[in-house]
Amino acid sequence: MEDVQFFIEVLVGGLLSGVMYSLVAIGFVLIYKTSGVLNFAQGALLLFAALTFVSLHERGVPFWASIGLTLVLLAILGTLIERVVLRPLVNQPPITLFLATLGLSYVIEGGAQLLWGTQVHGLDLGIDDVPFEVGGVLISSFDLFAAATAALMVALITLFFRYTRIGLAFRAVADDPFAALAVGLRLTRIWAIVWTASGVVALVAGLLWGARLGVQFSLSLVVLKALPVLVLGGFDSIAGAIIGGLLVGATEKLAEVYIGPFLGGGIESWFAYVVALAFLLVRPSGLFGQKLVERV
Amino acid sequence: MSSATTGALLPAGDLYPFEPAGVTRDPGRSRSGPAERGADVESAQPGAERDAVLAISGVSLRFGGVTALADIDLTVAPGEIRGVIGPNGAGKSSLLNIVSGLYRPSAGHVRIAGVDFTEVPTQRLAHLGVARTFQNLALFGGLTVLENVVMGLTSTIRSGPLGQVLGLPAARREDAANRAKAEAIVAFLHLSGVAHRPAGELSYGLQKRVELARALVARPRLLLLDEPMAGMTATEKQELAAFVREARDTYGTTIVLIEHDIGVVMGLCDRVAVLDYGRKIADGTPHDIAADPLVIDAYLGVAHDADETLEIEEAV
Amino acid sequence: MSISVTPSIERSLPRAAIGGLTVAAILFIAFVVLPSVGSDYLFEAILTPFLALALAGVGLNLLTGYAGQVSLGSAAFMAVGAFAAYNFNLRVPELPFLVSIVLAGLTAAGIGLIFGLPSLRLRGFYLAVSTLAAQFFVQWALTKFGWFSNDNPSGIINAPPLKIASVTFDTAVGRYLFSLGIVTVLTFLAWRLTRAQTGRNFIAVRDNQTAARVIGVPVLRTKLLAFAVSSFIIGVAGVLWAFAYLRTVEPAGFNLDRSFQILFIIIIGGLASIRGAFLGAGFIVVFPLLLSRLGGELLGGIVDSGVVEMSQRIVIGALIILFLIAEPKGLAELGRRAARRLGGRPT
Repeated sequence: MEDVQFFIEVLVGGLLSGVMYSLVAIGFVLIYKTSGVLNFAQGALLLFAALTFVSLHERGVPFWASIGLTLVLLAILGTLIERVVLRPLVNQPPITLFLATLGLSYVIEGGAQLLWGTQVHGLDLGIDDVPFEVGGVLISSFDLFAAATAALMVALITLFFRYTRIGLAFRAVADDPFAALAVGLRLTRIWAIVWTASGVVALVAGLLWGARLGVQFSLSLVVLKALPVLVLGGFDSIAGAIIGGLLVGATEKLAEVYIGPFLGGGIESWFAYVVALAFLLVRPSGLFGQKLVERV
Repeated sequence: MSSATTGALLPAGDLYPFEPAGVTRDPGRSRSGPAERGADVESAQPGAERDAVLAISGVSLRFGGVTALADIDLTVAPGEIRGVIGPNGAGKSSLLNIVSGLYRPSAGHVRIAGVDFTEVPTQRLAHLGVARTFQNLALFGGLTVLENVVMGLTSTIRSGPLGQVLGLPAARREDAANRAKAEAIVAFLHLSGVAHRPAGELSYGLQKRVELARALVARPRLLLLDEPMAGMTATEKQELAAFVREARDTYGTTIVLIEHDIGVVMGLCDRVAVLDYGRKIADGTPHDIAADPLVIDAYLGVAHDADETLEIEEAV
Repeated sequence: MSISVTPSIERSLPRAAIGGLTVAAILFIAFVVLPSVGSDYLFEAILTPFLALALAGVGLNLLTGYAGQVSLGSAAFMAVGAFAAYNFNLRVPELPFLVSIVLAGLTAAGIGLIFGLPSLRLRGFYLAVSTLAAQFFVQWALTKFGWFSNDNPSGIINAPPLKIASVTFDTAVGRYLFSLGIVTVLTFLAWRLTRAQTGRNFIAVRDNQTAARVIGVPVLRTKLLAFAVSSFIIGVAGVLWAFAYLRTVEPAGFNLDRSFQILFIIIIGGLASIRGAFLGAGFIVVFPLLLSRLGGELLGGIVDSGVVEMSQRIVIGALIILFLIAEPKGLAELGRRAARRLGGRPT
């Protein structure tokens, strides 16, 4: 009985931390759906957002004003990226764009730290991380808060894309950029907006992760946690990002607890990748990814 | 809008969103019935099919609920230039993709050089003596024209990577021989002037010709040409048609030609099959085809193809 | 348009002769001139790391530039090479050192083959992400299992002396020459490969996989071969990096940043170009030195090293983007164009 309880506790902990992965992965999906780019700079964007917020807040700017200012900066950054990086590379093979975002991540990481310094900032969102008990299973209240935030984000994103004009345009572009272009949607503006939107997602994810790990350079490495999630869920599916995140979170924690001791521990650095790979061999386009029929 | 430009704008797949009801099949054509499928094919083949370089029998192709091809029969006799025509979305390219093993047919089988396949193994295609060109350019842009053509001989290569790197005599002889063969074809198709240019830099028409050279260099028994003249100017089309005919006459290659430009097909092909909505509605000499009411209906039924019907009449 | 049957003017012969002379001149300078005039600093801080990184670039370029399979795990194969050579040398002392290096390359090739298996089903981003598995798994395994580092608590290994027959290369110049010899041989073989049918197969798979398959290119075997050959070369580059340059190395030295560095080398230098790997490596090695010296001279001592490091990150990142936009073929193409202009022959 205790074993079962412990198992459930590990599982729930894993699922909740998986939500944190999902949150990062959603930012990727937004950009991938509209421009077909796997945006490696998402982690750097997350670092930039969290670092900007913390630094403003530490300098005495009130909480919401800091959020607002950070959002403005993210919008400027999104527009800049579209103008300087994406637009000149339009019609290039996707892998070129991916490499460009790799360069971009270096620029943003360097820029963020040049601007705000390299020291570690603590971040207190005012949520106590006291575990509470549900039916004998300990649950972290912070994790629960993170999960609730993620759920709210997903709901907002869904509403946004279903009911706003920009959302409709976004979906049109995601379906068929050429057709969207042909009917007069302005691709460049939509891209700028989507990059801003994924910046917002990055801010939320950055705050939650920052509260966990401290706001510092290593924050941008959460991108490495999100990649297997994306591989598992498919790069173009928000539902996939969520379920992939939960799967990765759960299997990772379970493996760490139950398999880890046999391998000497520390397997979380690669375990998610192996799970994702094993899965891919069965379904090459992920859980929910669109299967592309090759045309000749 | 002319049909040629429509063809260029639409994606390569030949899919129609629905299957039309009440399309009648051409009753007069001989075909092996579906009942024969899976039975002893060898004995059931009529004489013409046994000698055929390519025999497609009862081939259907469905993507989900969409039927791209329905129960197609087609035989290609040695040394003939066989045309396959039809409006956009008729299933012409799908048919070639089945013959080259890129699509797996939902039913039916394909017989190449006497061997029966339910799914043609693409990897062995070249060994079976089949080469093809693609509707969209499919050259290796990073290689020169000559290197692209040499690649057409890949299936004949015997030397391994180590022998090539170390420059063993056998590997060197093989490479030199292949280069000579490629140079001959390059000269045959009047491409010598651009032989050392990267293929990706050439004009569209020239790239199409390089694809033809790459397909021809291995002296295939069967050559599948998927809209080789799409997007070409009238002069380029005439030139390429002359090359195709010359290839047949010089090398004895059997050719299946899918083409949108009916005028070219009628002038070039010995026999022509007409596809419409994934079904074969006619099959015969260009003369028969031009007079076939079903064919005229099919072409007149599609507004933008009206001018092509006129071309049929002019060509015959 | 029509092309008449004019016999092509055979320009490739003189061009090949010029190329051969250039290479001979470079080799002469590298093997004879530099060792007699260079300083220890030049060999230890610039030339030896340059050679190791250039060789890794050559290896990655075969895989990514020629065969079109993007890998983000190069450093893992460098690590495999370094630790394998260390262990062969340690555990089978009677093996000649060069044999240990070849065996280390083969070990890296084997591991590369395993991590190349996903390429049979995956393409593009999915494959790129899957190569990260190699990166993290190898680093973890080398740190976790003490056996690999002969039970050093931090996983650190120390370089054995570099020996060929009875000659020991234990000076700065010696280690440079040792690296130079290995790099020259492997680069020559890699160059031969790119010019042969196998190299054309790589490019065919990269440019149009479907057409390649139809023609009869064994696509799966070609991809695996690309992974194996590339990993072999990168593995040997890892040996040079660890034994000739750093002399003492830990698994963390082969982290993701190192993988990206190799990738940046071939982007900046030029994809699908052997020369590009050398130009890119030269740039990556020399550029930070220049930048920090420049920063030091312009701003005196006011800037701390953190600022310099961040500025380097920004500039490298920006250069990647710039090259992708303005000159996707990299320094190699810029060099070619400059040479053509100097040659004055219009083309």
